Amino acid sequence: MTKELEFTDRDRARMNNKLIQFFRFIVLNLKILKAVDRSKRS
Amino acid sequence: MAKVVIIGAGFAGHTAALYLGDALGRDHSITVINRFEDFWYVPSWVWVGIGRMKVDQTRFPLAPVYEKMHIGFVHGRATSVHPDDRYVTVAPDGGGEEQGVDYDYLLIATGPKLNYEATEGLGPAYGFTQSICTAPHAEASRDAYFEQISRMERGEHVRFVIGTGHPSATCQGAAFEYITNIHKDLVRRKLRDKAELRWLSNEQAVGDFGVDGVLARYKGEIVSSESFLSAVFREYGVVWDVQRAVHKVDESTIYWEAADGTYGETPYDFTMLIPQFTGVEMSYVGADGQDVSERLANPAGFIKVDAIYGLPYDRLRTNPTAWPELYQNPYYENVFAAGIAFAPPGPISVPLTTPNGTKISAAPPRTGMVSGITGRIVAKNLIDLIKNGRMSHGERMTEMAAACIASMGDSLWDGSAATIMIYPVVPDFRRYPNEGGRDTFVTHMEMGLGGAWMKRMIQATFMHKLRGRIGWKLIPE
Repeated sequence: MTKELEFTDRDRARMNNKLIQFFRFIVLNLKILKAVDRSKRS
Repeated sequence: MAKVVIIGAGFAGHTAALYLGDALGRDHSITVINRFEDFWYVPSWVWVGIGRMKVDQTRFPLAPVYEKMHIGFVHGRATSVHPDDRYVTVAPDGGGEEQGVDYDYLLIATGPKLNYEATEGLGPAYGFTQSICTAPHAEASRDAYFEQISRMERGEHVRFVIGTGHPSATCQGAAFEYITNIHKDLVRRKLRDKAELRWLSNEQAVGDFGVDGVLARYKGEIVSSESFLSAVFREYGVVWDVQRAVHKVDESTIYWEAADGTYGETPYDFTMLIPQFTGVEMSYVGADGQDVSERLANPAGFIKVDAIYGLPYDRLRTNPTAWPELYQNPYYENVFAAGIAFAPPGPISVPLTTPNGTKISAAPPRTGMVSGITGRIVAKNLIDLIKNGRMSHGERMTEMAAACIASMGDSLWDGSAATIMIYPVVPDFRRYPNEGGRDTFVTHMEMGLGGAWMKRMIQATFMHKLRGRIGWKLIPE
């Protein structure tokens, strides 16, 4: 089951908050490395 | 000494050339044939198309890189492949007699032919639509976009229509980036209220992107890419029409057929529609001059590889091994294909057929990360074959991860991007028996300024990697 999505004011603030986004930037880098690690890369 | 020839120096061909040059360049002959003198970083052309980046920032010359990596470079267009006699003919850039280039192993990584002719009135050369699929097209789009900006500054209202211009088009991600970047740019110019932005696409749903959409965890809930990107479009005031097969464009109107068989029209002032991709036109000539293209290419011109072709969609969807592993032609085992040039076994997204018989089916994307990965796999197998006589690498699109950073504003201060990570690219319902057929711990979607930083970082790191600079092999494709 999937959820219908609407962005809230809190979401909008979070998307533009530099400190939170710096944290997300680090997390995204780690997530990409995790995806590459899961990938077969034989 | 083995001779390896690579046709094409895009993401797939150039990545393969770097690996081959690094491992074999000193002892064997590696030659790249390419129509252009430069490597072009195609993903940034969405920014060129709105004047936020100069085209020179998206390229670097190939010759110095190849010289450093002990790779030969022929600047010209490959016109024919002679697989029995093992040579390729090349028409040199700037004219002159065709020359033959011998090979023991051939990698075809030509990218697509932009088949504007398949839709009446499509394309900037003979039609009415803009394009961001080549550098000159992106610059022409930018100029046309600026004309519309001038109109809006004079108080006029402008209708932008962005999407796909053929029922089997792919690369919807680039069009998505373009429309969201136009939105951001218009907001920045305080002209957004003067523009109507419309998404017109062959996808079965918004956010499908030719990969059957994505299901991912967002704020603790499983959310579909359709739900996520519909929310983005609502946020940006973009209206959308999907399941549309565009069949004609004139100077003011786009004509389409919807999946329910109805016909309709969309008026526009500025439109950028992605064309159908086909294989690059080359002739395939056998030992006694006969046409052997059936052995090498499918009717669309893409190179046949070790996939299982001809399966109906339902069977393909449940058979992950139908997707190629080695990217090797089954008839000529010394011929490989990577990137957009290889023929996929079928669509990833659900194909639709209208009551009038028109097939609407977004083709599988093989650009960017998939191109680079397939180029690396072929290169490593060629290294294996030349050094050990057998191949040891393989990766199907059902085993491959990909990250798509869809820019939605380039600014490092107030830009944004949707970051979508999918694993595997093609759903594998045997390994992941959930609704989406993907690993929900890796598959991920989010949107924010951090994505805009990622997009810039990825351009910088890729340009570093593809120049073969220090540590290039550590940067994943």
